[in-house]
Amino acid sequence: MALLHPILRALDRVRPAPVARAHCDIPCGIYDPHHAQLAAHTVVRMNLLIKDLPHPTPESTMEQKMEFHAKLGRYVATKEQHAEIAKHEIRILWGDYFKPEHVQAHPGLHDLVFKAMKAASKARQETNLQAAEDLLKATNDVAEIFWQTKNVPTVRAKAPYPTEREIVVPKLG
Amino acid sequence: MAPSMAPGDYVIVNRWSYKIGKPAQGDVVVLRDPENPAGHLVKRIASLATSGGYFVVGDNLEASRDSRAFGPIAKDLIVGRVWRHVKP
Repeated sequence: MALLHPILRALDRVRPAPVARAHCDIPCGIYDPHHAQLAAHTVVRMNLLIKDLPHPTPESTMEQKMEFHAKLGRYVATKEQHAEIAKHEIRILWGDYFKPEHVQAHPGLHDLVFKAMKAASKARQETNLQAAEDLLKATNDVAEIFWQTKNVPTVRAKAPYPTEREIVVPKLG
Repeated sequence: MAPSMAPGDYVIVNRWSYKIGKPAQGDVVVLRDPENPAGHLVKRIASLATSGGYFVVGDNLEASRDSRAFGPIAKDLIVGRVWRHVKP
């Protein structure tokens, strides 16, 4: 068929044939590690809130006990949901954005993604601040690599969130 | 349709293949995009749906937009069977 292809290409130039698309992901090209970072910060925050939540005592009223359980439930649900969001967002970057040449330039990328997945799973399953911190570190490291692949410089700053943890942000403009 | 097809490949389509016969499982077909009638897609027939339509999927399951997104397609949308697939 090697000979047929140039013939068809020549014909295509004279009288263009309709294009049949096979790979149909909409190539929007819009990627950003920010969602993953935000989710990781949320997981850290939920761990801190769970830790600081005053436990009811035998003297507590029914309302106080109910409030404790309601708050704990919300914090745990949000923690699990955002750990899953972080995993999802990192998977998108890993599966759709990063190309073999990026991995060549950053050989630790696969291992970093693996660590992020494991930390996120642990942070979701357990009330484990260290796992949340590990997830945050991994997402920041992924963000740094992401922006490097776009030749955008980054800065590590204290995030303006109650977590007061680090965030990697691009220096745009 | 990666890995079997790649951008820049040509497909020669037999528009008469389904005038008599029916699409069979595994056939590679060109169809009009149900979500964009001006566009064409190339997909593989996965199965005949219970509704009478055809369930088409791409070979590159991770990235393909196909019947998993837009549902089974009517036979009318199928332009024809891929008769020859020409790689560079």
